[in-house]
Amino acid sequence: MNLLYDSTYYIASIGLIAIGLYIMLVKKNLIKVIIGLCIFETGINLLLIVMGYISHGTAPVFSQTGLSAGKMVDPTPQALVLTSIVIGVAVLALALSLAVRLHEHYGTLNLRKIRDLKW
Amino acid sequence: MVVLLIVVPLGLAFAIPLFGFISKRVTGFVPVIGMLFNLVYSLLLLPFVLQKPEMVSIGGFPPPFSINLVAGPLGVGLSALIALVGLAVSIYALGYIREGAQEKYHVLYLLLLTGATGAVLTGDIFNLFVFYEILCISSYALVAYLGDRSGIEAAVKYLIQGSVGSGLILIGIAILYGLFGTLNMAQIAQNINSVSSLSVFVPLVLLVTGFGVEAAVFPLNAWLPDAHSSAPSSISAILSGIAIKVGIYAVARVIFTIFGASNTFHFLLLLGLITLLVGEMSAFKQSNIKRMLAYSSVGQVGLIVYAFGIGTSAGIAGGLFQIVSHALAKSVLFLAVGYMIYRTGSMAISSMNGIGKRMPFVSFACVIAAFSLVGLPPFAGFPSKFLIVRAALAQGDVLFTVLIGIVLVGTVIEGAYFFRVVQALYFRDSDKDARLEKAPASAAVPILALLILIVAFGIYPDFLMPLLNSAASELLDKAGYIKGVLG
Repeated sequence: MNLLYDSTYYIASIGLIAIGLYIMLVKKNLIKVIIGLCIFETGINLLLIVMGYISHGTAPVFSQTGLSAGKMVDPTPQALVLTSIVIGVAVLALALSLAVRLHEHYGTLNLRKIRDLKW
Repeated sequence: MVVLLIVVPLGLAFAIPLFGFISKRVTGFVPVIGMLFNLVYSLLLLPFVLQKPEMVSIGGFPPPFSINLVAGPLGVGLSALIALVGLAVSIYALGYIREGAQEKYHVLYLLLLTGATGAVLTGDIFNLFVFYEILCISSYALVAYLGDRSGIEAAVKYLIQGSVGSGLILIGIAILYGLFGTLNMAQIAQNINSVSSLSVFVPLVLLVTGFGVEAAVFPLNAWLPDAHSSAPSSISAILSGIAIKVGIYAVARVIFTIFGASNTFHFLLLLGLITLLVGEMSAFKQSNIKRMLAYSSVGQVGLIVYAFGIGTSAGIAGGLFQIVSHALAKSVLFLAVGYMIYRTGSMAISSMNGIGKRMPFVSFACVIAAFSLVGLPPFAGFPSKFLIVRAALAQGDVLFTVLIGIVLVGTVIEGAYFFRVVQALYFRDSDKDARLEKAPASAAVPILALLILIVAFGIYPDFLMPLLNSAASELLDKAGYIKGVLG
């Protein structure tokens, strides 16, 4: 029980990743696939944050006396997540603009019907 | 000052809109300048890094605490190759890219090359991811540059598959950071044996799968034929010549340097072999020339992965030679075929009948590059394939002998479909009048330059060998890499 409690955040973030992947694999509508991609990326960002998280931790700044390094959250994963969010925004913007263009050409966003190119 | 190799193209890329205010015509020359600088600078650096790899730590902190660049023979050699192909294609684009948002094309093009250069030079795994993403995002956008039906569809496929791959890489990096508390590749490599092999196995699989999407190894290559055939020809050349190679480099770096996973070599062998056969057989039945070339790239990637899977210094040197010869030959093929498509307006192989008489130079270039890919002497493809076969036979194992036999069967299939193109070019009469067309300088110069290199490396492979051998030993010598970075 305690193990489960300790790893709640891990289970939650990996669950989000799995949900995102499931949506991307199963859904037919491109917008839903992009939403799945978004959830997938959010799950990964949370996973990164969890890696450096300490419960009741503080920011890693020695602003007051009595703060010890052991009670500080690891700042590196947060910096990574910041980068990763920016990358995610770029990918998402590009994906949505491509979806608009795809709809102009095909008149549908159903991925099962968009199959001009084949193996 | 290795940083200049990344900073100059990055700065120029964002300066292009400013140049656009002066004149739209000028913007096309900016990538040429950037890549020329990178080529010259990498070649100047090469003699120094062959003596001793150059380390740069950003911000002045020693390596484990900062992002660092590792300019070894492998990194600088690949950055020279990237700059060379990038230069040739940017000259070609001066005449080829005439419609649409030219400025944005050039910005994205330079960013793509910046990402590729950064990815091969960095010594920090998250930094590798960031540069890899710069490469990927700009190539998604460039595939869709023409904005036509097939281009958009291919870009969507590429984007979805590529982003899942990038996501997997990031999960792998997160797990590695959780295990070791560092992002420095050398430090991870140093501590990799301190944890149980099972917990290292998960990030290894995630990273290899993620980078494998860009490298187009077999089950992950569904995007490649669409993206390479639907993109503008200049972009197809850069994707086939450079972008895949960065994926292969990243896979090799992860397997050899970070994880030192010598027990995965047999898996690599098998993966390479399957990729090779799938690629070559799919290429054989294509009737669209660009799709055929794209599938041929899949086959060549398989050969490179196979060579890396041999796991000896000679095998890796052969694989690296194959990277060079494929980058040169495939970019010539895409550029030459791109010019033919531009003139004839059709991508079908049947529409190329009799073009040998209409466009003698471009057809000649096509034939030389095809011969080089098949591995005929005296072109660059011959020594690379020869080295791989020799390295496999030197293992003296029945397994390797059988597998190299199958690889050679793949080469025969490759010969069959390339000779079909040659036949169409020269030995079939076209129904149209055979009016002689001279290729413009912007197409002829880069193709000619790359052809000269193909022949030069084919006749005198020893010119490349010292570089390739020390690059191969850089990949294999894990302890040396760690010592070089951490001191």
